[in-house]
Amino acid sequence: MFRGPWIRIASLAVLATAAAAATAAPLAPSVSSIIQRHCVACHGPELQNANVRLDNLSTDFVDDRRASETWHDVRNVLNRGEMPPPEAPPLSPGDRTAFLEWLADEFRNADESRLDQGGSVVMRRLNRVEYQNTMRDLLGLEIDYVRNLPPDEVSPDGFTNNGSALRMSALQLEHYLHAARSGLSRAIVEGPAPPVFEHRARETVIDKLKDVNWSNRLGRTGTFVARVPDFPDEGEFVLRVRVRAEIPAGAPYPRMQVAMGYRADTQTPSRTVAEVDMSEAAGREFEFRGRIEEFPIQSRTQSKYPGLLIWIRNVYSDGQAPPLGEKVQFEDDGKTKEKLVWPVDPEFPAIVVETVEFQAPVYQAWPPPHHTRIVPSQPQGRRYERRTAGSVLRHFMRRAYRRPVRTAEMRPMLRFFDKVRPTVSSFEEAMRETLAMVLISPNFLYRVEGASSGARHVNDHELASRLSYFLWSTMPDARLSELADRGRLSGERVLRAETARMLADPRSWSFVEQFSDQWLDLGGVDRIAVNPNYYPEFDLSLKQDMRMETQHFFATLLREDISALNFLRSDFSVLNERMARHYGVKGPRGGAFESVALSGRGRPGGLITHASVLLSNSTGEDSHPVERGVWIRRALLGDPPPPPPPAVPNLASGDEDVTPLPLKRQLELHQDSDACARCHQGIDPWGIALEEYDAVGLRRERVSRRFGDREESHPVDAAAVLPGGHHVDGASALADFLFQNKRREFARALTSKMLAYALGRSLGRKDDGMLDELTTRFEESGYRLRELCTIIVTSDSFRRR
Amino acid sequence: MATKSWHLDRRTFLYGSGVSLALPFLECMAADAEARVSPKRFCAIYFPYGIVQRPDGSEAARWNWFPRGSGSDFRFNRSLEPLEPLRSDLTVLGGLSHPNGRNMGGHDTADTWLTGAELKEGHLDNTVSIDQVAATRYGDQTRYRSLVLSSDGGVGEPTRSSTLSFGRNGQPIPAENRPRAIFDRLFGVDPRSLRAQRQSLDSSRSMLDLVLEHSKSVRSGLAKPDRIKLDEYLESVRQIERRVDRSQRWLEIPKPQVSAAGLHLEADDTTPGELIKTMYDLIYLAFQTDSTRIATYQIGNMNGATSIAGKFPQLLGLSANMHKMAHDARKNDAGAEPLGRWDLFLSQQLAYFLGRLQDTPEGDGSLLDRTIVLYGSSNSQTHVNLDYPLVLAGGGSLGLAHGEFRKFSEDIPLSNLYVTILRRLGVAAERFVDSTGDLPQILA
Repeated sequence: MFRGPWIRIASLAVLATAAAAATAAPLAPSVSSIIQRHCVACHGPELQNANVRLDNLSTDFVDDRRASETWHDVRNVLNRGEMPPPEAPPLSPGDRTAFLEWLADEFRNADESRLDQGGSVVMRRLNRVEYQNTMRDLLGLEIDYVRNLPPDEVSPDGFTNNGSALRMSALQLEHYLHAARSGLSRAIVEGPAPPVFEHRARETVIDKLKDVNWSNRLGRTGTFVARVPDFPDEGEFVLRVRVRAEIPAGAPYPRMQVAMGYRADTQTPSRTVAEVDMSEAAGREFEFRGRIEEFPIQSRTQSKYPGLLIWIRNVYSDGQAPPLGEKVQFEDDGKTKEKLVWPVDPEFPAIVVETVEFQAPVYQAWPPPHHTRIVPSQPQGRRYERRTAGSVLRHFMRRAYRRPVRTAEMRPMLRFFDKVRPTVSSFEEAMRETLAMVLISPNFLYRVEGASSGARHVNDHELASRLSYFLWSTMPDARLSELADRGRLSGERVLRAETARMLADPRSWSFVEQFSDQWLDLGGVDRIAVNPNYYPEFDLSLKQDMRMETQHFFATLLREDISALNFLRSDFSVLNERMARHYGVKGPRGGAFESVALSGRGRPGGLITHASVLLSNSTGEDSHPVERGVWIRRALLGDPPPPPPPAVPNLASGDEDVTPLPLKRQLELHQDSDACARCHQGIDPWGIALEEYDAVGLRRERVSRRFGDREESHPVDAAAVLPGGHHVDGASALADFLFQNKRREFARALTSKMLAYALGRSLGRKDDGMLDELTTRFEESGYRLRELCTIIVTSDSFRRR
Repeated sequence: MATKSWHLDRRTFLYGSGVSLALPFLECMAADAEARVSPKRFCAIYFPYGIVQRPDGSEAARWNWFPRGSGSDFRFNRSLEPLEPLRSDLTVLGGLSHPNGRNMGGHDTADTWLTGAELKEGHLDNTVSIDQVAATRYGDQTRYRSLVLSSDGGVGEPTRSSTLSFGRNGQPIPAENRPRAIFDRLFGVDPRSLRAQRQSLDSSRSMLDLVLEHSKSVRSGLAKPDRIKLDEYLESVRQIERRVDRSQRWLEIPKPQVSAAGLHLEADDTTPGELIKTMYDLIYLAFQTDSTRIATYQIGNMNGATSIAGKFPQLLGLSANMHKMAHDARKNDAGAEPLGRWDLFLSQQLAYFLGRLQDTPEGDGSLLDRTIVLYGSSNSQTHVNLDYPLVLAGGGSLGLAHGEFRKFSEDIPLSNLYVTILRRLGVAAERFVDSTGDLPQILA
């Protein structure tokens, strides 16, 4: 007990001397001079007020914890303006900044070298998306495996696939076990084929709710509902919906939404099955599939809402509120009654439902393929069960662990099978439980790459996983696994071909969605509440369309393999009808996203004018130039400004009310104050150049703000002087500037973001050399986005560890 | 240990709202159980970014969070007015803070509100939170060790965690944020037979044993940072083993039957009013049914970059997100009003929760009398890690004295309060992190 500390101190001391020699930089001469002039009188050889002596304090921020903490305190008192004390001569603004910057650099370097010493985390937990996709592919069942999993941890650089940020907890693991059991109980079936339920409807049900226009024709108003009286509790269902459309010439397409649920008096207990554009008038049959247990189903004992309801609606909207029904009197059985009648608008695109057919459960064969893929054949009698279990396990574990499995690794699983089998009634039941154990093994939940001393190439199976999680966010498919088994994957030619194949596969949408979301922080649209007093017509569901615009733009550059400089400046974007209408651009008629030329439409292309980016970095009422500036520096220039120090003084001094001033003027106040200026001069101008765009990404001539009933308004002023002295006025000029002058910075930022995503770790100083090399190759390729993926996949960073 | 329980023979019927119907029934059971167990509960509720503090006499001073006057002769300003009816069951505490927090970043302290640790530059390992210390003492007596909730859910990232609770080694405990899932976990009924459930638990037990054994052999092949990851996994396995053991013990005892009627279980981040109220309802129901005795709820954290709760005030029509509102409040009188209204909204919600606890009889007092509720923040104003706004409520039967606004000097660490709370909860605490003693002033 009492020996412990001594040993630790002794060994630390040894480490410290060794490391100090390597990492501790001497005190910068300028800083040393500041300390001599301002600090040593009270914190020097003569006096050590508060026990602090600065003139000989170690600059080993890594291993000398006491010194590092003292420097930390120095930073705080400087930030707060507490030192030098009022009675002593103050630091000049220049000295103060120089001192603070030196401290910031030292702390950053220390953080990085700590990372370097510790080595980086290789073992990385599957995140939500990866887990969902992997379970889906492994079990062959499209169900929601992650509904109850807590949100993933985000790394400081914004990624949710970062090995050291992702954590494990009991709550998490409990969910994994539960998801494994419930997934396997569906994947592995038992007993004879279940009976099939069928239902066919031609007319909508007319529910007792009076203010709904129950109808087969779905125009400005109209809801079609079919009620399925009998249905199974689980299994795959198929819905066949036969519809025609009425589309006035040149009008947008009606959009059909199909949902399933059980209550007619409220919309919550239903879930959307699918949404499709109706791009032609002629009658057509659509087929939708899903798992019935994924939808809210009434409890069997609840008789108030019998049956399963299928809802069909036309969700196209031109922004006008649907008309109310008009009361009409009619005679019935000699009595005068009233009913509501809804006006028909022939100019409004409409859907006419002809028939709806429901069938469940549907299966190609019994047992279904998801079963036979895991359990190819039944054991012929109890004696053979263990052997069958062994072969099922070998095959399943190979896929779950994403590598060949050693016999020794199977032993605990088989032991468990032996233990469970006598307690359950069937082979299948014991098998499910055993496979659940595989699915909570660290070899499944984490991507484990075997340890080795020193750097090495990853082996083919590790490479297959790296590839498939990078480009698909899921486990390797059969082809990748086979290439790995044959040791053929690591050749450069094969790697290039596989990258191309994988990017052409629809599964690469996971990469588009995940990477663009995390790189550009598109989730920001959900963090900002749009203030309805400022934007009364804003439809909240448009936020997802905004996000999709940017994702589809990314996907288009990737698919067509064109220059990534389009992110900086472009003559097109990728819009659907709703986004086009939002921007006031003509073209798309439906919900599907398509390329739309922007030239001559008064809206420059490129990310800085995407509504997703503009909204995410706004207040929900107005633009937020500081946030927009920070975003440009972080996402496009790879140069994130340091976070605000503690206890920053506030913008305005005293009670002088600055809020009615134009924002640009308020920000100039920032720059008058020395404590703020140093950072904000490098941030604000980038955002000010985007002042022509309001919170929801629309162009404006004037900026209006409200104070109670009072509205203040002033003309937009988007003129800014960028760091380095370049003048820009407005988004077009900013896009031109970025396109012409910041290519290298942008190329490096994008390369480093994609590399961090591909490797699942933050990059450090040791990656700088590699990053420069990959950036140069990316530039030489003509900035082609798809080529960047290949450059990363074939790089040493990706192939070695 | 006696296995006979009142849960076993009779089922309690509780309703999310309209609980009074069931009360006579409950009361007689409670009396029955009182002899064996006198529960001691703890609940902590956190809000971010601080409160309004304008100079006395200024126009916005009526929105000041801290009351006017002191001692028992104090008057609430508007922000806390809803607490007036509960005045004799609560104390407003001023001046307290964690000394360790004073050196930390302006938005970094939510993580340490319940832990008192110091997180800065490269040293981001937290330590155990006070609720989890209490859970160690009482966790085994209830079906759930503790209830950890937040509006954002999960763990977040160090210094911007989306949970208030940290385990024995300082590892963050993921918070649950979906009312439906929380309800199902607490009160959902497993449709399987007891036999099937028992068998599934037995199977889990041996599965986890084997997983542990097998994973230890994986460990030796790993590099150091990976070993840390695997250890976290192994610790999680051990924890579930304990949970399985606990479930086995609780298997015979049916979960209390609670109707979801009147609860907004579909509430989410787009409906902050319903969400916060429902979280309080769930904590209340968990306490009332003695499903757990420890709960934490983080209404929001200070991660402007990722917190989904930042927009709550805006959705309530108060004009800005939490962060901006807190900054505006420091600028001038006009800027203070929205934050004041947000403070008011939050205290209305708190009053609702405390009121429910107070209205529910237990033994010869109320649920509130045996529940210590700590409500507050780790910022007084944004970026200021001093003078935390704190309300301490309930626990009258556990020895707390109330009805005052008490101001403490800056040299008393907040941890002194935690020592006193822990002792009143029956935990023999010598000290808590940097405590220099206890805080006897709050005792009767």
